[in-house]
Amino acid sequence: MKKMPPSTTTALDGAKERPWYGWLGLGLLCGLLGYGTYLMWLITAQYWPIRLDAAFLNLKQDALAHPYYAYAFFGHVFSSFVVLLAGLTQFSSRWRAAFPSGHRRLGQLYIGLILGLAAPTGLVMAWHANGGWTAQVSFLLQAILWWVWTYWAYRAARQQQWAAHRHYMLLSYALTLSALSLRFWKWGIVLLWAPPPMDTYRVVAWLGWVGNVVLVYGYVGWRQRKEEGEAIF
Amino acid sequence: MSYHLLLCYLWAFLLLIACDNPTKNPDPITLEEGTTVTDAPEEAEPSTPEAAPAQPELGYWVGDFKNAVEDYSKDVVVGDGFYWNRTNKITIALDKIEGDQVWGHSVVAGNDRPFEGTRTRLDDGTYRYEVKEPGDDRYDGTFEFVIQADQVMVGTWKAYKKIDISQRKYQLKQRTFAYDPDVELVANRYYVEWDKTIETEEEETYPDGSVEAWISKEYATATQEIYTLNASNTALTKAQVENLKRGDLTIIRNAIYARHGYSFKNRPLRVFFDAQPWYMPVHTDIRSDFTELEKANIELLLRYEKNAAEYYDRFGRG
Repeated sequence: MKKMPPSTTTALDGAKERPWYGWLGLGLLCGLLGYGTYLMWLITAQYWPIRLDAAFLNLKQDALAHPYYAYAFFGHVFSSFVVLLAGLTQFSSRWRAAFPSGHRRLGQLYIGLILGLAAPTGLVMAWHANGGWTAQVSFLLQAILWWVWTYWAYRAARQQQWAAHRHYMLLSYALTLSALSLRFWKWGIVLLWAPPPMDTYRVVAWLGWVGNVVLVYGYVGWRQRKEEGEAIF
Repeated sequence: MSYHLLLCYLWAFLLLIACDNPTKNPDPITLEEGTTVTDAPEEAEPSTPEAAPAQPELGYWVGDFKNAVEDYSKDVVVGDGFYWNRTNKITIALDKIEGDQVWGHSVVAGNDRPFEGTRTRLDDGTYRYEVKEPGDDRYDGTFEFVIQADQVMVGTWKAYKKIDISQRKYQLKQRTFAYDPDVELVANRYYVEWDKTIETEEEETYPDGSVEAWISKEYATATQEIYTLNASNTALTKAQVENLKRGDLTIIRNAIYARHGYSFKNRPLRVFFDAQPWYMPVHTDIRSDFTELEKANIELLLRYEKNAAEYYDRFGRG
């Protein structure tokens, strides 16, 4: 494999001193991410050892009639958790500068698992999603975008287009994190309004990932305005 | 600085782990023993004493089993609009009468108890009954009643032991029991699951600086959906039940048991079904009474009910 040269842009944001609100924001984000990851661990652990009557699978008995569904499901939950972990440190420019080969290894794991397992199995699950076509369309779209953005991010890295790589990785990880945001939305909506379960599900099926993508575009725009003319990516 | 931040998070994280699982509630669905679905083949409803009409007193007498002493302190009061004065629906079954000897049983509040005793003829041609339960149950006692000329059983009951409500009174009407899968719920009373509450402490600070704190309670209830689905005569589909909240699922499932004359131990369910005009408690074990359709519906409903109870308000999908 071709050795990648050190990024020219990472030094830029890494070298800058972070203001206090930057630390606060970063702290909150890390806390939320860490806690959400811990919760996802609890959820994933429910399915080990492999059981066909645990939690979510209880409501998928009709889908489980297709033998491929169980493979898709377990392939998805276990690989997605590893993907979530693999991505956690990838956006830190300091870590990336300190451990460039670690960044590359984790990135390969992240990309390989999404393209080979997590996204295709997600597509299969989306086809059988609860909540009718509103939820199905959302999850199908999400699975396709997840694959495509991750692939584009990979292609950009191979072509050493670091701005594009970073841009598509932000989008890819936004979709990875929909695992957390979907469940946070659901928890908040039920806490506030306690709507019927499937109505909630249809709403969070969309909110879960569209919200994250909007945030990424908002962040990218903000960075662009802030740096005004400077190359950020 | 980031080092301190990391320590803080580690600390907060440990605290969180020490708390209960935010992704799952402990399983709060209680299934009464007499209602579990078994694989035993379906049996015909046991024939009621209707077959022997020679003695018109024999059979089921149904009505309210009330506290004989007015005592509001024993009432269950929930919020502003719901209260229960501890009245239960009772069925007194007179099974056999030979001369002045009487045998029977009573079914109330999930308790099926035999009794036997005597009857004496009164001047107006009616009988006065005095029958006793065996006494090996905490809630056993003595029934005394007359069956009036207008076919109303009027009487009292006294517990042997000192229990919460040790004297009851009742006026019962004679009814036959027949399982009818088509009987529908009537909007008579709200379902309020007051024995399982979610309590949250709330606090408000007023402009003058005074602080008021209170505990707000939330209960599972049922919606109008319960009047639209009958799980005894319709094969329910996933689409029909997946958007129902837990209270609705609970009532729709338990309505199956109620149609079979099941006597509920669970108080909120008992209060709800006691208010159904067609309902009468006649059995405490209906395990072999379900139709195949009902068995399938119970399985489906329970699956969604369990999921709703464990995951609805938690971090997760279901």
